This record gives sequence, structure tokens and C-alpha cells, in this order.
Amino acid sequence: MLIALHQAAAAFYLLATLGTTLGLALPNARLARFAVWTLAAAALLHAAAFAGLHTLDPPPSLTTRPAAVSLMAWLAVAFALVLLRRGRLEGLAGLVAPFAFIGTLYASSAIGGIGPLADGASGSLPHLHVILASAALAMLGVAGVAGVLFLAEARQLKAKRPVAGRRPLPSLEALDRVNLMALALGFPLMTFGMLAGMLWSQGLSGRVWDSSLHATWTGLGWVIFGALVVARFVLGWRGRYIAACTTAGFIFLFFAVVGVEALR
Amino acid sequence: MKILLVGMNHRTAPVEVRERFAVDEPGPWLAKLVASDEIDEAVLLSTCNRVEVVVTTRQLDAARHRLRSFFLRELGRGEPLPESLSPHGILYEHVDTDAVRHLLRVSSSIDALVVGEPQILGQVKDAFREATESGASGPVLSRLFAAAFTAAKRVRHETRIAERPVSVARVAVDLARQIFETLEDKHALLVGAGEMIEMALAALRGAGLAEVSVANRTRSHASALAQRFGASAHGLDELPALVARADVILSCIAAERSLLNVPLFEEALRVRRHQPIFVIDIGVPRNVDPDVNRLDDVYLYDLDDLGGVAEANAEERRRETIRAEGIVQEEVDRFGGWLTALAAVPTIRRVRDRAEAVRQAELAKWLAKTGVDEDSRRAVEGLTRAIVNKILHAPVSRLREQAEREDGLAYLQAARVLFALDDPTAPGADADARDGTSEAETVEEIATEAVRGLAKPRRTARAAEDGPESE
Repeated sequence: MLIALHQAAAAFYLLATLGTTLGLALPNARLARFAVWTLAAAALLHAAAFAGLHTLDPPPSLTTRPAAVSLMAWLAVAFALVLLRRGRLEGLAGLVAPFAFIGTLYASSAIGGIGPLADGASGSLPHLHVILASAALAMLGVAGVAGVLFLAEARQLKAKRPVAGRRPLPSLEALDRVNLMALALGFPLMTFGMLAGMLWSQGLSGRVWDSSLHATWTGLGWVIFGALVVARFVLGWRGRYIAACTTAGFIFLFFAVVGVEALR
Repeated sequence: MKILLVGMNHRTAPVEVRERFAVDEPGPWLAKLVASDEIDEAVLLSTCNRVEVVVTTRQLDAARHRLRSFFLRELGRGEPLPESLSPHGILYEHVDTDAVRHLLRVSSSIDALVVGEPQILGQVKDAFREATESGASGPVLSRLFAAAFTAAKRVRHETRIAERPVSVARVAVDLARQIFETLEDKHALLVGAGEMIEMALAALRGAGLAEVSVANRTRSHASALAQRFGASAHGLDELPALVARADVILSCIAAERSLLNVPLFEEALRVRRHQPIFVIDIGVPRNVDPDVNRLDDVYLYDLDDLGGVAEANAEERRRETIRAEGIVQEEVDRFGGWLTALAAVPTIRRVRDRAEAVRQAELAKWLAKTGVDEDSRRAVEGLTRAIVNKILHAPVSRLREQAEREDGLAYLQAARVLFALDDPTAPGADADARDGTSEAETVEEIATEAVRGLAKPRRTARAAEDGPESE
């Protein structure tokens, strides 16, 4: 049942992806709005799937990768939908849909096969670490998508091929504001998530920093985003450079959290 | 009944001619037109780009002559036209389907100087309202204009004909909206104080631009423009500080070399922490160094760039007209079907009258023979009426439906033969002579009944009754 709910959410995310793609390509503002509503419906189904996890005996841990990826996808969609209330951001919300689709599809295919948890992966600290890190990744992911959109739109404007008419794309200023909000919320969450991870590590091995690939790369990611936060909030930078750095930073961080283990 | 449209537009007459024929108050002119025997209904449309009269008439040649005379002698006051123009050349006319199609194309902004411009629909609605208020518009033109509004609405919603801006000023506003979420908290700098600057500023102000500074060589000129738009006036020596504050820069000033160069913008970006700047350079020669566009977060558009975008948008609109023409044709066909169906109304009425006459005659004969009481008479009366209605229901309904089609007239003809409507000796024929309706019936009466629902026009009868407000 829970897997079916995950799959249904994935199907709705796919529908939102198609709606957004068509809405931007045609262009058609109604289709873009339809995509947003579909995205909201998918988020509700996804939330129901999460709520259902607690009905299982014993409930599966969020510290497994499928569950964490699913949580991250849901939080990213929720954040994008909240942002919609603050401006013309239909295009951005729709572009989060494909990532949510991939994340949810992966979770629905893997969540059923979760085996026993590794020693020490249950408890409040690991859960706190995963929830905070997932929320940070979700927000910084939305900032990354906004950055890609910013770069594409700026390029079109520079090339004198502006997107005319009612194409449902956000303005550069709105995308820059998304970057601001995502960094303001995402970086503290990331910091607290890492602190929770350090405490978890200390409990397991007695060391705050375990110098694993995951910890090292994530630490580098934190430094990159720390520099971005300083540039953005202390030096007041904005615009194309910040958009490009945020996108690159998110790609690095995502790899550090999800992909670096594959290097082993 | 014929529909006739006579008029002139931007293609047939230059503005100095059109302005002589322009009408501010159509009411009295329409009253004169419909007072003529040859014109039943009339609507007069007068805009910057066209003056047109559309009428319904039963005397086409006379109406044609009347309208030409109306244009040349009454609207044009008999004044001679420029030598290069002839009355035949400036006036065009369309009859029936062509007239309907022309009006629908005009309302849908296909036949416009700027394809897709939205004002024309409002002007057509105003023209129709004036005609309705002055009593010059009747059921046929009401239905025709309802069709025009429907076509215009469909074209606007089902095509992208009006989506992309085609004027340089509106392109600039559109671009500004792609960069900034809102212009209400933005600061604009105008370099120069000429007419072009004023026009572009008016467009940006219309889009909500808040704060404006004007910089000019001659400070007094800057002050004059600044006063009109509630802005502050500056000299060119203040440019570095002004550029650093400006979100939108509009420049059109006579200068031999670039007045706004890369170092100026580099410094401005540093001060602004890369807050974007939208620069519109409409000066010839250009006032802004083109290399400025290479800087991150500065978006520079010169006159050619804006013109290029406007032309690309205009081309897109022209492509959309193909789809729009299809919609117009659908609505023309729909109106044509309704108009054809009007011809069925007298036939249907005569069929019913004949049947009723036969029923009454046969009933009277039977009553005379049997002498039944009042209750029985009422029962038989009701029974025979129900039988006649039920028998006629199917043929009358089919006749109505078929009359809207291309071969509708053949069905009407067949009905006349089958029911012997042209035979004065046929049973019930005396009903024709008794009420004398069918042949003497005016087009207005038929159409009025049709609008009320007798001919059941498919979906726009309500729109016709609603008039312009239905849009």
C-alpha cells in the first residue's frame, strides 16, 4: 500500500513534469498552472505515503537512503510550493517536479527491500541528522534549479532572444530572491545537520570527525556554501555569478551526500 | 435580405482622408440611414484606421447607392478628394458572406494595422452599443455582432495573436518584466529629454515604474521633462552616481561617442553588488558602448535589438493569423447557417397554419354532425391538437435543422411541394389568406422570432441578447 502510494506520487510528479515541459515549450500558462496543481496533488500523496510509514510495525527508519531521498524530494516540492506564494514562480515549481519524480521512483522501487539497519543507525541523532540534511539539500536543490533557470534566462536575454509573451517563466529578480531564501534557510539546516552527524559519529566511534569520504566531501560542500552565504549576505553579491556558484555548489553537495559512496 | 458593408480603411485611404470621414457621434448619422427605405438596420464603426457602415437591406443596389452617397456627400460633406484618389478607390464594399467575414476579421484584429492589437474589439462593441441605443440595430445585426464578438473572443483565447508585444516601447516593458519581478520599486534613469525618451518613459510609467531621474546636457530641458513625470533633473556630470542607482536606464541623446561605457558600468555593478541593470539605448548613434552587454548582470538593448524582437513578435502574430482565419470561418459558417435558417420560418409557420386549418375544419364538420356536449368537444379538441402537433414535430424539427445547412433550401422547397403550400386549392389553404402573414412577413419579424428561439440558433442567441456585455 505504501509503495503504491509512493508510485502514485511518482506518477503525479511525472505528470507535473510533462505539464511543465509542455507549458514552457508551447508556451502555455494554463498548462504550467495545471502542472503546479498536479505537483501539489503529488505532494499530498507523497505526504500520505510518509504518514503511512508509521503504521508499519516496526516503522522503517528514515536513515535508509531510499527513505532519505524520498523525504528530500518531498521537502523540495513543499519548499517550491511555498515559494509560489511569493511571486510568479510557476516555471520554477514545475522544474522541481522531474527531480521529485526521480527521487520518488527510486524510493518506491527500493523502499520495500530495506534490510536491517546498520548498527547505530537508529535513534534520535541519526534521524535528526537525516531530516536536517534532507531539508538542507531540498532547499539548496531548489536554489540550484533556480540558478539553472537564472543562467538560461540571462543567456537568452544577453543573446537578444528574450522569451516573449506569457511564457510562464519567473523573472531574474524572482529567481535571485529564491536563491536568497534558499541559502538563508538551507545553510543553517545544513550546519545543524552536520553537527547532528558529528554527535552521531562521536557516539559511534568516539570521534567527532570520522574522516570518511562522505564527511570530507560534505565538509567541503559546507565550506563552499559558507563562502556563498558570506558573499550573498555580508558582501551583498547577487545576480549571475551567485546563481552559477549556487548551482555548482549544489551539484557538488549532492554528489558528496549521495554519490561519493560509489567511489569506494 | 442582404448584408452590405461599405467603408474605407488604412489600406485604401490615407489618414488625411480618413480623418475627414471620421464620426464622433454615430447616433444621428445612423438615424438618417435607417430612415431610408432601402436600409433596415445599420451600425457605423469609426476608428483611427477605418470608417465602415454595415447594413441589412432588401434592395441591394439602392442601399449600395445610398451608402456611397452617405460617405461622399454626407460624411465627406461633398468636399473633393485629393487628385490621386478616386471615390471608387477609397471605398470598398462587401456583400453577405464577404461582409460577415470582413466584420469578423476586423473584430478579431486580423484586418488591422497592427495584427492582434486589442483596442479594436472595444471599438466594435462601442459601435454596436451606439447603434442599439439609437435604435438602428435590429435582430440580424445583433446576431451578426454577437458572432463577431464570439469570433474575437475565440481568436484571443485560442491563438497567440495578441500575446507578443510589437511596439518598441511595449517590447522594452516586456523585457523589463523578464528581468524584474515588479517595476514599482525600481529606479529609472533617463539620459536625454527628447520625444523618444518621453514615449518610452510613458510606457514604463504605465507599467508601474516608480522613481525617475532625468539627466541631460541642458539642465532646463531635463527639468521640463522631470516636472511632467514627477522626476528629478540632473546634469550629465552626475552620470556615474546616477548609473549606480538605476535599475533601468533609457538613453537617447545626441552624442558622437559612447556616453555610457564599460568602466562606468563596472563601477556601477561594484557599487550595486551586481544588482541587474536593464539598459535601453535608443540613441542614433548609440549612446552606450555595445561591450557593456558583455558584463554580467547588465542587459543592453539598442534600437535594432528592440526592433528585432518587435519584428519577430509581429512575424509570430502573422503566423497566428492562419489559425485565427480558421476560427473566423467557423463563425462565418455558423452565422450563415443561422441566416439560412431564417428562410425556414415562413415555411414552418405555413405548414403549421395549414395543419391547424385542416384540423379546425374537420373538427367543425364532426361537431356539426354529432352535436356532442361541451366536455366531449373539449376532449376531442385537445386530442386532435395533440395528434397534429405530434405528427408535425419531427418534420418541422428536421426542416429547422436542415435549413441551416448548405442544401437547406432544397429541403424547404421539398416541404412546400409535400405540403402543397403553393397550391391555393389544397386543404387549409384559406389559412394563408386569413392571416396573410407568410409572404408579407418582414425580415425583421422573421429574425426577431428566430432570435427568440423559433429557429433555435445554436449557441449565440444569448450572446446576441446580452450584447457587448457578453464579452
